[in-house]
Amino acid sequence: MDKIFTKNIEHESAIKHVTGKAIYTDDITEPKNLLHAVIGYSNCSKGIIKKINYDEVYKSEGVVDIITEKDIEGINDVGPIFKGDKIFTSKYIEYYGQPIFAVVAKTNNLAKKAALKVKIDIKKTKPIVSVEEALKKKSFVLKPKYLKRGNIKDGFKKSKNILKGKLYSGGQDHFYLEGQISMTIPQEDNNFLVYSSTQHPSETQQIIGKVLNQNFNSIHVMVRRIGGGFGGKETQSFLFAAITSIAAKKLSRPVKLRVDRDDDMIMTGKRHDFLFNYEVGFNNEGEIQALKLMMASRCGISADLSGAINDRAIYHIDNAYFIPNIEINSYRCKTNTVSNTAFRGFGGPQGMFCIENIIENISQKLNKDSSEIRKINFYKEKNRNTTHYGMKINDNVIEDIFNKLIKKSNFKKRKLKIKNFNKNNKILKKGIAITPVKFGISFTTTHLNQGGALVHIYTDGSIHLNHGGIEMGQGLMTKLALVASNEFGLNYESINVSSTDTEKVPNTSASAASATTDINGAAIVNAINKIKSGLDQFIYDYFKTNSKIRYENNFVYFDKRKISFKELINTAYLNRIPLSSSGFYKTDKINVDNKTLQGRPFLYFAYGAAVTEVIIDKLTGENKILQVDIIHDVGNSINKRIDIGQIEGGYIQGLGWLTTEEVSWKSDGILTTHSPSTYKIPTAGETPFKFNVEIYDRGFNKEKVINRSKAVGEPPFMLAISSFIAIKDAVYNANNNKDSNNLIAPATAENILKSLN
Amino acid sequence: MLNSKIELVLNNKLISIKNLDTNITVLNFLRNEKNLTGTKEGCASGDCGACTAVVGELKKNKIEYKSINTCITFLYTLNGKQLVTIEYLGNRSLHPVQKAMVESDGSQCGFCTPGIVMSMYCMYENKVKSTNDNIDKYLSGNLCRCTGYIPIKKSIRNMYNYKKNKSDQKNIISLLKNIKRNDIMIQNNESRFFVHYNLKGLIKDYQKNNNSYLLVGGTDLALEVTKKRNSLKNIFYLGSNKDLNFINIKKNKIHIGSATPISDIIPKLDKIYPTFSQMFERYGSEQIRNSASLGGNIGSASPIGDSLPVLIALNSQIVIQGKKQRTVSLDDYFVSYRKTKLKKNELIKEIIIPINKKNILKCYKISKRIDDDISSVFMAINANIKNNTFKSIKIVCGGMAEIPKIAKSTQEYLLNKKFNQENINEAKNIIAQEFTPIDDMRASKEYRMKISQNLLERFLNEQNRLNTVVY
Repeated sequence: MDKIFTKNIEHESAIKHVTGKAIYTDDITEPKNLLHAVIGYSNCSKGIIKKINYDEVYKSEGVVDIITEKDIEGINDVGPIFKGDKIFTSKYIEYYGQPIFAVVAKTNNLAKKAALKVKIDIKKTKPIVSVEEALKKKSFVLKPKYLKRGNIKDGFKKSKNILKGKLYSGGQDHFYLEGQISMTIPQEDNNFLVYSSTQHPSETQQIIGKVLNQNFNSIHVMVRRIGGGFGGKETQSFLFAAITSIAAKKLSRPVKLRVDRDDDMIMTGKRHDFLFNYEVGFNNEGEIQALKLMMASRCGISADLSGAINDRAIYHIDNAYFIPNIEINSYRCKTNTVSNTAFRGFGGPQGMFCIENIIENISQKLNKDSSEIRKINFYKEKNRNTTHYGMKINDNVIEDIFNKLIKKSNFKKRKLKIKNFNKNNKILKKGIAITPVKFGISFTTTHLNQGGALVHIYTDGSIHLNHGGIEMGQGLMTKLALVASNEFGLNYESINVSSTDTEKVPNTSASAASATTDINGAAIVNAINKIKSGLDQFIYDYFKTNSKIRYENNFVYFDKRKISFKELINTAYLNRIPLSSSGFYKTDKINVDNKTLQGRPFLYFAYGAAVTEVIIDKLTGENKILQVDIIHDVGNSINKRIDIGQIEGGYIQGLGWLTTEEVSWKSDGILTTHSPSTYKIPTAGETPFKFNVEIYDRGFNKEKVINRSKAVGEPPFMLAISSFIAIKDAVYNANNNKDSNNLIAPATAENILKSLN
Repeated sequence: MLNSKIELVLNNKLISIKNLDTNITVLNFLRNEKNLTGTKEGCASGDCGACTAVVGELKKNKIEYKSINTCITFLYTLNGKQLVTIEYLGNRSLHPVQKAMVESDGSQCGFCTPGIVMSMYCMYENKVKSTNDNIDKYLSGNLCRCTGYIPIKKSIRNMYNYKKNKSDQKNIISLLKNIKRNDIMIQNNESRFFVHYNLKGLIKDYQKNNNSYLLVGGTDLALEVTKKRNSLKNIFYLGSNKDLNFINIKKNKIHIGSATPISDIIPKLDKIYPTFSQMFERYGSEQIRNSASLGGNIGSASPIGDSLPVLIALNSQIVIQGKKQRTVSLDDYFVSYRKTKLKKNELIKEIIIPINKKNILKCYKISKRIDDDISSVFMAINANIKNNTFKSIKIVCGGMAEIPKIAKSTQEYLLNKKFNQENINEAKNIIAQEFTPIDDMRASKEYRMKISQNLLERFLNEQNRLNTVVY
């Protein structure tokens, strides 16, 4: 039975947030004897270390020790799936920001001061920095992948029109407001307690175990909340947790590593930038017949999660469109830059960016309203409903959302108004676009789709809830406490969510892929059902009834009786009934062939659409978002306030990716944008005051996901593609309806100006 | 006799400090010395606002509030002031801005939230109207990566709907009144931190000490400590010096004390040079404007300091104080990259800006992001146009050379010429010959060149009353 969540409560930590009482890793009361580590890293992107002189470092005030590769008892690697992410290098420099050593000192400031005093003699060699260079030199971190469906030759033969082109989408720094941080506290018997700002405590535990050459059961990782993650703490946090643990073990003292913002931006991976070469065939109505695509991404020095990210880019190249004949070559380029990593959308945004640009180019070529071209190409219900990876779509609502949004946003009228505006304005030009989102939910690595929970009822009837997910602002704890309160029929206030803890729920997956509520919520329900079945049996026996039992309003109802939940629990306890259980869940139905990429990688899809209106200045390229209208499908929401927050925040983060945020590498592989003074995420001024969000009123998950809700973490990010396409439309208008082919992402003022004829 | 301690009101308690490192920032003091961990470090460079706290200063028996970035504010600048942190707001029950934030879902991960709440508190306590422009202005120095600001803006619109708790402002005022405002020297090992309340004392001590740094807002200087990890030996804080903090508008000149915060200058400039004052609204962020000064901008002589081209275009002069006083035209002041004609043991006392109401002043700032960003190109134009002819014209660019630079040939060409398309086209050719800008992460040299040309075009378009600006 599907439950309805009626309480629209605020974020579980909201009051703690606004009073400064929410505790992040750096706010935890520091243990006695705490030392601070700071990493010393390479200042060039490729070379061989000839000599390192630590004399001045050792002499520096407050220094206790220097940690290097030699101090690692286990493996010198924090790579998550594939190896290749060294903790410290001792010989070969492979990217700018590669850790070489760590200084441990009395304070963070003294450690950093000391680290800056090292003298390293490096023989520099020529790095590979750009995707183009890597392609030319066939420098890859993983083998290229190839996907095909249909017959591309026939497709092109049938096509009345063919367009060829090149597209580029830029990288993106996560810029979580809380930087990377870890603190390790030694316990007895070489056990270690680790507080880490991570999206993945279990893998943190496993990696520390391997690095220290100890069993996993000797490492205990705890996370109450993190100050933003967005994928940047899915694997990138491991390095810092490993280093504090190596140092804590060596020195038998607690060690904290809080990474300076610049160092953080230099040493951690970002969103993959992508290069696309496409050839598309289509008929005069704009219906796509064939697509030939080369896609290549900058993965940086190692594989990290790049395999799955590039796979997801392939899986989302269709967005919401049926492409009958398609051929994709996907290259995962190895460059001498920090290893790129997960970032909200995980390759999906890049794939969708590509197809939305192609569709816009088709409509400009045919001189037709691109919203019509989009509709023509949508997946349909009866036929044209199978993706290029062979998955049949059975929950398609895109056309309904799209039509509703066109109506609600007054799209057609506004388009006409813009036409008039552009006629009357020489310098300023407006543009508008509507784009759809169809995003697949599940980890594409099948085994990760499992969740765990631990639920205790104490004798006063209060509930302690634990599960595998991480609270990073997305409201996970709030939603899951609602799930538990709903299952027990208790006040939300009776549920106490606690730190995510590897000793309570083991072997969890990262809080990622938007699926954290889905899998952990289901595991919680499983745990609660186990407790309830024991309680039910107890009620049958003790109260001699076989009536249906209901848990509601803090009471338990059976026959015509009701007793308070508290009383039931206390009675059950006295009769030695178990009041605690673990829970488990795995996502069914999904499977995929890793080589051909055919199968069903996703349990379901989340849908949405956005309209964005922009204005640009032909003389400077300056631009402003004027209005945004969104309808987004969250299924049957568990908490609308939290879901709306994800939609709004996701859009603006996506807007940053596509407009102001530019990751800039010099040709020698040095990153020049490593602080908020040079790397510009949106401020309040970028956010339009006209920002209308509506949750899709017919939202319902056809799959048996908790409350029939849908994942909402990543999908709204891609609504922001409409901002780029709107700018593209404005550029097209400014170019007298010739084209907008030269616009690349991010659409900074400079890139906009470059795209004007 | 110099005082050897500072006194301030931390939230509602009077405290005195003397033994801490002279380079300590307010943020590190709060977190490490006072265990007030509600204030967060996001960047340690004054760019993200996670560390925002509010400084209250007595002005005519009332407390005036200003938001600051505690990560780049030195602790010893706070003598005689109130420092309000997030812990104070939630003390008994939620402050209206906190209630508004909770009810409008203004927080997600919560890490930026204390800083945002403090910026809102500042707005609330100063009774600033929650218009769209003011909201963007007051939030300009606070980055949030989760919410997209939409619920935060909503909570600012709603915040005045909530009732305020009883305040203990009267007590705080009396505490503040009792703090001595005598000159201060904090000595810690070999390092010193000076606070002077008048010019005389300052000059005396400044002449005596070498290895000295002049400090106002520290928006540039503090990075030496927080990023480069240098120790600054002798710091002279000018922000409390009454002889350097003033704005006097006389008949045909504006006199501005070199340490006067930008945010105090903006409302006064508004009537005389509205375009200059509007430019200042895009100068740094609210927190930066509350700390930074013209003296700092001129003293650090960065080629991308936004006030410099405007001041030069307006034919401003600066009064330099050493053992003696001298007045210098800003035109000749900048020598090469961050090098000026300021000699050792001299300091900038005041800036004198001529008032010329017949002239047109344009201040064009082009940057990647509208708010809180450094210009890729800045252009200031000061022109007198009669009968559509340039009777005088001065064009000064920032971000185009190693110093803020006058486009001499371009302005010479335009002088006494008609203000029309033909002459602007030629001016665009000339300006391209005058500059050899550089490539960096903010813009390519080609873009900078093109923009400098197109801003001349914008000037013409504005004269022809075309719509020209997107924001």
